[in-house]
Amino acid sequence: MSCFLGPLDISGRLPPKQQTRIGAFLISAHGALMRQLTLALGMPSERSWLAELNAQLFRETEIVSLMLQATRWVPDLELLALCPSWEAAWLITPVPNIPDQTQGWIIDLAALGHAIHGAVRPAAVLPDGTPRDDAFAEALRRTEFESGRLIQAQILFLKSPEFVSMRDAVGAAVDRRHAQVRRLWREVLASIGVASEASA
Amino acid sequence: MIYLKGPDAHEWSLAGRLHQRADLVPFLDYGSYRIRYALAGPADAPAYVFVNGLTQYAELWDSYGGALVAKGFRVATFDLLGQGISDKPGLFIGQDDQVAVLRLLIEELGRGPVFLCGISFGGLIALRYAIAHSDRLAGLVPMSCFAELSPQLLLLGNALRTGLILGGTSYLQDLLLPMNLSDAWLGPQLTNLDKIKRQGWLTNDVYALQNLMESFLDFKPLTPQLSSITVPTMILNGEFDFLTPRALHETLRIEIPNSGLIIIPRAYHAFTLEKPQLTVDLLSRFAEQVLAEQWIGNRSIWIAPDDAGGPLEPFPDGYDHLRAIPVRGAAT
Repeated sequence: MSCFLGPLDISGRLPPKQQTRIGAFLISAHGALMRQLTLALGMPSERSWLAELNAQLFRETEIVSLMLQATRWVPDLELLALCPSWEAAWLITPVPNIPDQTQGWIIDLAALGHAIHGAVRPAAVLPDGTPRDDAFAEALRRTEFESGRLIQAQILFLKSPEFVSMRDAVGAAVDRRHAQVRRLWREVLASIGVASEASA
Repeated sequence: MIYLKGPDAHEWSLAGRLHQRADLVPFLDYGSYRIRYALAGPADAPAYVFVNGLTQYAELWDSYGGALVAKGFRVATFDLLGQGISDKPGLFIGQDDQVAVLRLLIEELGRGPVFLCGISFGGLIALRYAIAHSDRLAGLVPMSCFAELSPQLLLLGNALRTGLILGGTSYLQDLLLPMNLSDAWLGPQLTNLDKIKRQGWLTNDVYALQNLMESFLDFKPLTPQLSSITVPTMILNGEFDFLTPRALHETLRIEIPNSGLIIIPRAYHAFTLEKPQLTVDLLSRFAEQVLAEQWIGNRSIWIAPDDAGGPLEPFPDGYDHLRAIPVRGAAT
């Protein structure tokens, strides 16, 4: 099993089946964040975060749109089972040990965003020699780069002074989401012949 | 004990190493987190333990492992919490946690002599360990190190963190490479830098690096505690170290009683990458002197040879080792 996507075809493109599986996963994950951000924007208590939530919403929309267009789609029957399981994983649940349930939901949303932006590194599985002008590869690089920017809002929020007294609970929520998202990402990669880290 | 590094270790690509089968990689358990480590060399030999710098990973010490094992040492390398294939806590990594991880690793080595060696961020963790557990060490080697954040280092650290946030790991590497390595090393590598950067980029995650950097947000200077380090201490500082210049090493030299400062000629912050043979030679000589009870630290100042095996020269009497021009030092 290789550590990277591929092999590249004669024109330097990644196999369409790999593109389809990864494209579907990223659209599912970032699409879930997009929907949840739309809901969060409607919450009156979050007006101080309006500008950031709005920016996040449009960045997530951009990633979903980009992946939709850049991916070479082929029929993939396994997605019929995979997509619902991914969607179920993205559902927000209140974080244990946070007395305020609304706050618990918001922390879980931020933890999920942190995990999707931090634990999923799509550009890191691109093989050496992937052409710079390949649309799918460029979309993966762009998604990873933007994720590195987007995660800053989650970091700022989750490390904010208002959560100092709940630091352990918030940290545990983030680690839990990371473990979940890493597992799903590993499974996606394994399903298309790509090995992931040894700490699996 | 599990030995990770086989005879073909040097043939493994980093990507391959990072994707080894989980059952071949030994891990230490630190709470719910796992720490990847590797041991090489005979179990009853004096051990060198290497602590990585901020953006490093254990494989960068591979050449040290080979050379020091050949000289009769045991070598332990590991990825700090948040680095390489050790677990990466999502939000918080305290420096106390890193010291606790290091204590676990050193416990794995049994009761033989242990020489602890760390560079930059890893040097700081090594200092913290030595302050708390000086009695467990035979010797300490802080390299490109600091015990406090000077205004320059604080502002540089903030700028590097901003660079990471805005431009990702790749941009941080772009900043660190020319800052920490010499023209002599960079010149021949200019066409190969993308490949060199890729290894570090693959193994580092933005949020984890940021967590490591943010472990300095509540940093308290270690200077008042340095005098509790009683073990022989060899401080290594590159002549042209820009990030942690001589003055920061001087604090260590003054405060650690049994220390000696060795200046590495024409070297920058990352001299362990640039001059591995010279550094290995200095490390093995230091350990041999300590074990033979011949080490005399005495807060002395030395100039390392250009190449491994050459003699160390005492810094010329009467000159100020903190200056870059030959200025007479104040009489002491």
